[in-house]
Amino acid sequence: MRLLLIEDDDILGEGLRDFLRAEGHGVDWCRSLAEARAYTGEPFDALLVDWQLPDGSGLDWLRERRARGDNTSALMLTARDRLDDRITGLDAGADDYLVKPFAPEELVARLRAVNRRVGAGATSKLLFGPVEVDLAARRVRRDGQTVDLTGREWSILEALVLRAGRLVDKGDLERLVVGFDSELSSNALEVHVSALRRKLGREMIETQRGLGYRARLPD
Amino acid sequence: MFWGVALALAVWLAVDHEVDELLDDTLHDAAQVLGSLLIDEEVLRHARDLPGEPLRSSSRGSSILGDRFAWQLVDPQGHVLLRSPAAPEVALHQRAAAGLDGNGQWRSFGLVLSPSGRVLYVMQSRAERWEATSTAAFSSALAALVVGVLGHLWLRMRVQVELGPIRRLSDRLRQADPGGVAGVGDLGGGLGEAEREELEPVHCAVEDLARRLSRRLDHERAFTAHAAHALRTPLAGIDAQLAVALREVPPEQRPRLQRVRDATGRLQRVVAALLALFRSGVELSQRDIELEGFVARLPVAGLDITVAPDSHLWADGDLLAAALVNLLDNAVRHGARAVRLSAPTRSQLRLEDDGPGVTAARRQELQRALAEQRYEGHMGLGLMLADMVARAHGGALHLPDGPRGFAVELLLAPADRSELAADGTAATGSAAASSAVD
Repeated sequence: MRLLLIEDDDILGEGLRDFLRAEGHGVDWCRSLAEARAYTGEPFDALLVDWQLPDGSGLDWLRERRARGDNTSALMLTARDRLDDRITGLDAGADDYLVKPFAPEELVARLRAVNRRVGAGATSKLLFGPVEVDLAARRVRRDGQTVDLTGREWSILEALVLRAGRLVDKGDLERLVVGFDSELSSNALEVHVSALRRKLGREMIETQRGLGYRARLPD
Repeated sequence: MFWGVALALAVWLAVDHEVDELLDDTLHDAAQVLGSLLIDEEVLRHARDLPGEPLRSSSRGSSILGDRFAWQLVDPQGHVLLRSPAAPEVALHQRAAAGLDGNGQWRSFGLVLSPSGRVLYVMQSRAERWEATSTAAFSSALAALVVGVLGHLWLRMRVQVELGPIRRLSDRLRQADPGGVAGVGDLGGGLGEAEREELEPVHCAVEDLARRLSRRLDHERAFTAHAAHALRTPLAGIDAQLAVALREVPPEQRPRLQRVRDATGRLQRVVAALLALFRSGVELSQRDIELEGFVARLPVAGLDITVAPDSHLWADGDLLAAALVNLLDNAVRHGARAVRLSAPTRSQLRLEDDGPGVTAARRQELQRALAEQRYEGHMGLGLMLADMVARAHGGALHLPDGPRGFAVELLLAPADRSELAADGTAATGSAAASSAVD
């Protein structure tokens, strides 16, 4: 998943960024709302937002995004633990609310849960005909046989599966897969998608030539 | 009613005494009047024609004193010379007795007529006097009772009217919330103008107190929020860094790093508990809590936790979590492997572990310290926090006797403290020895 992390505390921000990257996610880390606004228009799978930031409220920033029609999954990461704070956070458009201190493993599990709810269903295992994708275990089976995927292939598959049935622009897909500060050539993306279609079947990923890709809807 | 009867009785006694005196005065006056007549020898000569006989009712003496009095004139030898029809035939006294006398059935006044030495006794029967005094006393007591009752009702009505402003002030104070979102000015404005001049100082004092209380609460809230942020964020950062480091370090260094991470986890729980502890004196947010699901979300490791089915509590979730995490942490550190949780009622949480427990004496000592809130030096954070959380709910912490292990009962609503204290000090615990309980 490509994640936008907004956290002003260096120790926590760096720790979360490194942990999430080690878990196979692309992470863009901002220390302020001003930095976060530079990412406006960028596609993300989830936003991890601290409430109290040096230049404003992360909650207000989230409200602005929701008001513009952005429905990217969002988790509030905050030290504010009162019940009314949690209610305010969820009402402002957060999909989940995590009170500091929390274990990064829990954050990862909640990210998966949020994306399951928003994306494809209540379970982490999704069936696409003969193909079974387990988002929690990061594992794919075809006709019951485990399919080996490279890290990049898994990232592409995950990005498409989380948006199953929707056309994903090639440029967005490139950024979702590698993050904002890395590059992946259009040619390389096509090579990875071809490999995925070969391993999982042509019906799994539909190509809209010149536009992008679409994963089929789960069963 | 008691005071009405007491008042009537007092009036009865007073009137009885006064009427008695009045009748005595009448006896005295009647004797003086009759004596002035009987001193006349002419009258006596006529009377001697009928010695010892009663005078006719139309006689002068009788008409003067009426039927309510009797009289007799006795010579120095004790012979009755004259008497009224109702008077006794023999002399009232064999020897001359001047003044008032109350012997026998008569109350009399003796007047010595000089120079003959005769004695005139004017008398009244006891029955007559009783009738007179009781009638007067009864009427007065009845009147006093009626006046007393009416006076009481009137006084009560007046008191109600006069207390009205104080009652309304109390109602407004009860409804006022100096810690609410409305803040300081709201309570001051809510009290309004004093209805009576005498209440003006009370209004001023209460409003001033409310302003100071509100400022204090605002300050505490701000401090709690600041402390929470200042403590929670670095702790989360340390944990995240340790989680990354655990993946990066060589395998032989992982156990040491894992111990550091475990200690960080414990530090996190303690900080969360301290923040909850500080907040427990400020506010409470109660809701229905399904115990099994609630406990499943608590960060507790190394303990087999069993929850009685269908257990529900009405409590503040954050405070309860802080209390439970620390109690369960205690159980682990004191050698328990399994804990059973149950909620016999929605305001009663019982926790029993299978550890070595404490001696009966130690348990009673702990219970006494809890009852008196003497935490320091007697117990650790776990029991102290659980007690404060229970007290924040209006209840208390109880350490019941159990067949084995250590048992704790959080009462999350007001209970009969005397019953608790008696049970806590009288109960005998398991004999198993244990180290100090935190």
